[in-house]
Amino acid sequence: MPLRELVLEGAGERDLTKLGEYREVGGYAALERALGMDPGKVIEEITVGTLRGRGGAGFPMGRKASLIAKGSPNPTYLVVNADESEPGAFKDRQIMGTVPHRLIEGCLITAHGIESRSVFIYIRGEYLHEFEVMRAALEETRGADLLGGITIVLHRGAGAYICGEETALLESLEGKRGQPRTRPPYPPITGLYASPTQINNVQTIATVPKIIELGGAEFAKIGPQNSPGTAVFSLSGNVVRPGNYELELGTSLRELIYDIGGGVAGGRELKAIIPGGSSVPVLTPEQLDTPLDFDSIAAAGSFLGSAAVMVIDDRCCMVQLALRVSKFYMHESCGKCTPCREGTRWLVQLLDRLEGGQGTQADLDLLDSVCARMLGRSLCALGDFAVYPVSSYMEKYRDEFQAHVDEAGCPFGGESSVEGILAPVDQHSHHKTVEVPA
Amino acid sequence: MSTPELVTVTIDDRAVQVPKGTGLVETALAAGVEIPVFCYEPRLGPAVGACRMCLVEVEGMPKLQAGCTLTAQDGMTVRTAQTSAKAADGQNATLEFLLVNHPLDCPVCDKGGECPLQDLTFRYGPGRTRMTFPKLTFDKPIPISPTIALDRERCILCYRCTRFSEGVSEDGELVTVNRGAQSMIATFEDEPYRGRFSGNVIELCPVGALTSTQYRFLARPWEIQNVPSVCGLCPVGCNIDVTTREGKVKRVLSRNHPEVDEGWLCDKGRFAFSHPHARDRITEPLRRVRRRGFEELSWDDAVDEAERMLRAAGTRIVTALSGSETIEQAYALGKLLRQGLGAHAAVLPEETSTALDALRLPLSAIRDAELVVVVGDQPVEERAPVVDLWLRAARRRGAEIVTIGPTGSIQTPPGSAPQVCRDLAAENNELGRRLRGGQRSIVIWSGPDGRGGEHIAALAHALGLADVAGSGAFYLPDTPNGRGVADAWSAVADGEPADPEPIALLIVSGDEAAANPGVRALAERAEMVLAITMFQGLAVGWADLVLPGTSYLERDGTYMNLEGRVQRLRRTVIPPAPDELAWLAKLAGRFGVELSPHPSLVFEDVSARLFGGLAFADIAATAALPTRAKAAPRPPLPEPEPQLGGDGLRLLRYRSLFSGAAVERVAELQFQRPAREVEISPEDAAAKGIASGNEVAVRHNGTSVALRATLNRRLAPGVVRIADEHAGDLGARVEVGRA
Amino acid sequence: MSPQPLGSLHGFAVTFRQIFRKPITQQYPEYKRPLYPRFRGRHRLNRFENGLEKCVGCSLCAAACPADCIRVVAAENTPENRVSAGERYARIYEINMSRCIFCGYCEIACPFDAITLGNEYEISEYSRDDLIYTKDMLLAEPRKRVTIQDPELFDTPIPYYRAKA
Repeated sequence: MPLRELVLEGAGERDLTKLGEYREVGGYAALERALGMDPGKVIEEITVGTLRGRGGAGFPMGRKASLIAKGSPNPTYLVVNADESEPGAFKDRQIMGTVPHRLIEGCLITAHGIESRSVFIYIRGEYLHEFEVMRAALEETRGADLLGGITIVLHRGAGAYICGEETALLESLEGKRGQPRTRPPYPPITGLYASPTQINNVQTIATVPKIIELGGAEFAKIGPQNSPGTAVFSLSGNVVRPGNYELELGTSLRELIYDIGGGVAGGRELKAIIPGGSSVPVLTPEQLDTPLDFDSIAAAGSFLGSAAVMVIDDRCCMVQLALRVSKFYMHESCGKCTPCREGTRWLVQLLDRLEGGQGTQADLDLLDSVCARMLGRSLCALGDFAVYPVSSYMEKYRDEFQAHVDEAGCPFGGESSVEGILAPVDQHSHHKTVEVPA
Repeated sequence: MSTPELVTVTIDDRAVQVPKGTGLVETALAAGVEIPVFCYEPRLGPAVGACRMCLVEVEGMPKLQAGCTLTAQDGMTVRTAQTSAKAADGQNATLEFLLVNHPLDCPVCDKGGECPLQDLTFRYGPGRTRMTFPKLTFDKPIPISPTIALDRERCILCYRCTRFSEGVSEDGELVTVNRGAQSMIATFEDEPYRGRFSGNVIELCPVGALTSTQYRFLARPWEIQNVPSVCGLCPVGCNIDVTTREGKVKRVLSRNHPEVDEGWLCDKGRFAFSHPHARDRITEPLRRVRRRGFEELSWDDAVDEAERMLRAAGTRIVTALSGSETIEQAYALGKLLRQGLGAHAAVLPEETSTALDALRLPLSAIRDAELVVVVGDQPVEERAPVVDLWLRAARRRGAEIVTIGPTGSIQTPPGSAPQVCRDLAAENNELGRRLRGGQRSIVIWSGPDGRGGEHIAALAHALGLADVAGSGAFYLPDTPNGRGVADAWSAVADGEPADPEPIALLIVSGDEAAANPGVRALAERAEMVLAITMFQGLAVGWADLVLPGTSYLERDGTYMNLEGRVQRLRRTVIPPAPDELAWLAKLAGRFGVELSPHPSLVFEDVSARLFGGLAFADIAATAALPTRAKAAPRPPLPEPEPQLGGDGLRLLRYRSLFSGAAVERVAELQFQRPAREVEISPEDAAAKGIASGNEVAVRHNGTSVALRATLNRRLAPGVVRIADEHAGDLGARVEVGRA
Repeated sequence: MSPQPLGSLHGFAVTFRQIFRKPITQQYPEYKRPLYPRFRGRHRLNRFENGLEKCVGCSLCAAACPADCIRVVAAENTPENRVSAGERYARIYEINMSRCIFCGYCEIACPFDAITLGNEYEISEYSRDDLIYTKDMLLAEPRKRVTIQDPELFDTPIPYYRAKA
């Protein structure tokens, strides 16, 4: 199946960061059209288009908007989650860096739809270049008088993965410690500053202009019925041509990895595929024909998540990978709830011992048990995210874990390809070296 | 108010009916089922669901839910660890995770034996650990203030302390730093935690992470007795539990009286309990010996001596009362002097106004108020600290709090409170109009003393607050039992004070009276002085006979707090000297006055005259507030006294919460005492070329005090503010200049 | 004549038979019977090899004591005055031997093996005051006045802190 560009449309040919160029490809026409529509009609189009959130959970945006508390004495806010921090995901980065105006247009249309006057874009702190691009684009938009009285605030995060979680993001935006809130109440009822808040991912919002342009019904025809539209897939790992590819949802993993990505690098054997960022359960080569859409991936036992597809070849030690991923989640656990705060550290300790060759059969059983006891008990999804990789690697590559115990060491030695897949752990520390328990 | 809708919730197969929206933890309690919690504390605001101890299975939800964050909905079916293996495993897992990095030093830990983590682990947790790695370590213990020690290793990060600091006392001094397993509680830049209510975090902590430095390693829970009593250091009358071991007070804990203190206690009440063991405590009667000094004398001799002095003075006696005596002590003293000798002259600590009785409210009514106006020169938090917490709670609930005074949101010069009352009572006053029209309007008088009660009562009556159930007025007195003492003294007899001049005998009762400059001036005119005091150095310099006094921790009796609530004090430890009532009864017998040495019997006598025959035994552990009196005919607004004229800046003295005889004798509280500084408004500072931190001289009529200047943006121009203990003999008008 | 002459004779026969047996009286204090290894005598407080006291003053022994004869007052170790290994130590540790029933519950309750019951039982004094053992007395080496049975004779576990002796 060929590439189908909606969000990134035209970005390859022109410099769409400039307002003039963007207007030439029909930019802000959708906004004009939307402003001519009744706010309710805008949301209806999105609902008809069955636009599912591209941030990870896949919650339909139209339904989210319909939950916004009506008649609240407080103002309604639109918050764009641009705190893309999932290891393996870099799609929002490209969207903001190449088609900032499409995001801004989406913001303005959505704000019109939910009758909000204030939009906050919470952008990941490390995305300095994208921040500058967005800022310049926003200046241009303001200069061209396109905002129509709506305030768009660009807010840079301070480097916390957890602030990609919507309620933690809202806390952080309010100037508090970035920790998730208990839900309910959900953001549409009590969100930013205890006001009704619509919060969506960058790609979700950037898709909105296309829905208005094509019409909801037409949009719904793209891709599978339950998850129509396109997604920007961030392909990375041991693959010949890594990068962002916007494809229709429903494209199979095989097409993405072999036809578009050029297959496993160096002619090696495919060992595992992580379909939605480091936090989701792993898929095996037998599942290569799974279509990439929310429901199909879920049926295969994983999540589409942020559509960050990581390809892992046969050099990779799954224990090492689990350890590397667990260190990330230990470092990024906010510390609010017990299972995640204590469990992530314990997982790292156990995996470290296994990888080091001191692990016993009891440690392996304990690892199983700790995973089972963390799953579904934490305040937000981070606790689960830390468990999914470890427990799925354990389930699908049990032999490797067993070998670490039986051979009292890592059977892969120094040959592992982990470093090709994920950055060294130290890159994630800003102020302090990551604590690696003895 | 309409009655809330009742819903039926099934918890562990037990159906229970509760009002809709009740927290699930409380709902379960109503069904007789425990949902264990660590972080959940309704007094700290909305539940955070951080500790995950309260995991329960809710029908229709796939995952375990944090019970503390749920509320009762109709038809809800909940299974706790009692009947659900899944929930039991969830709670067991939470405890296992909590203990993964929690040191097992329970034998060393002060919380051991009264520790929720211990108790819940015993009931719900795993019996053995599977953690075989070194635990996380931190430096410990860290004194986050001279009164509180922090052990970060024991901390389970329930965020109760930081939520208290942020959401109840609103000082924001305690925060969490770092992330994940490295998260830790800290103060900003390791500054000491200076809040007025910091000690509450010790009690909130469900583990031994925050402990009292005073109580550190002193006793274990099975070695102590907790005596329910009432704090006697300010007029709020917070309910306390006094922990004693081997006849000594070891700590003071709050005891929740939902109408008075909601379980909060200020640091003065919590940490100043060690003053009875001060080095300069007087334990034997002392007699002045021809200017050479004092000699100790036996109690028999002392009573003889006191009798001789009383007989010699006859009716020419003036009694200066402190307002810290119990109702029984004041009554006994009154009975001896007024009935036995006909000596009616007294210096009372407060001018009380019975007109306030028709405006009576529980302090908790402040939280529910719509509009609260605080009038006066003294900040509420220095005078009645827990009232400040109620005001903050009201503000969080959306009430408007208006303070009118030299540091208020509406700035007025010192001493203008009577005029403010008149202004508010005027028909055309906007704020007064809103108070009058409101359903829950409260006015509060916070200093200066004198006829404050009368002013505020007249204002409240003029605004018609007596006729609205949720509205009322409070007068914040300066002394813990001023109202009770004054009422008890006047209940004894009706005799008009005969002219006591020249004063033959001045009786100084209590440390506050001894510290009062007015009383000291009287002492200079008196032929003889009899002082009842706890400490050397207060009245000792000028008394002829000193009888040892007792502390509120050593007395049995009753106090009346600022609401008019009669509360029971219990003797927590045996004082080193006999109780005042014991020798007063003996002395009274010699003058033919019948007086019991037992507080319960004396109270019966008082109660018949003052409290409608309320029995001593009927004063509940959490005492009830007497019902509102019938609204009296509107008292007239008293004329404000003329304001002092003159040049220079107006001096506003204030009594810091952390001052007084008790605080001065507690080493751990010294860091809280007011600094040697003069607060000045930015306008005046600019005019005089003074910057914050400059050394300045404050002059008045030849006297000069050297202080450090500090700018206070909330202070009205033309006013300087100095703590009482640093103001020396400065008068009402002062000059401030660079030293 | 007694109603049961034969019965009386039976009884006296037992008495007379003893006349010709060796007496079993032991001449205490000249002779002291060896004690069983688990005999519970006067307590002692133990130290680590580096001289620090094992007791941290947790008062669990006092809580366990059915005779309420133990009094512990703890204090905090300082770098200048380090008495025990942990944060706290027993500033005062007293056992009132006149009340003690030597049940050994304190030994069981102790989380640090700091208190053990020894073999000494000759602890009578002329004054009750002298029976209040202070920490110094309890820390001191007990006088070895009693022999102990060979532990090998008994099927009892020997606590590790005694195994060396």
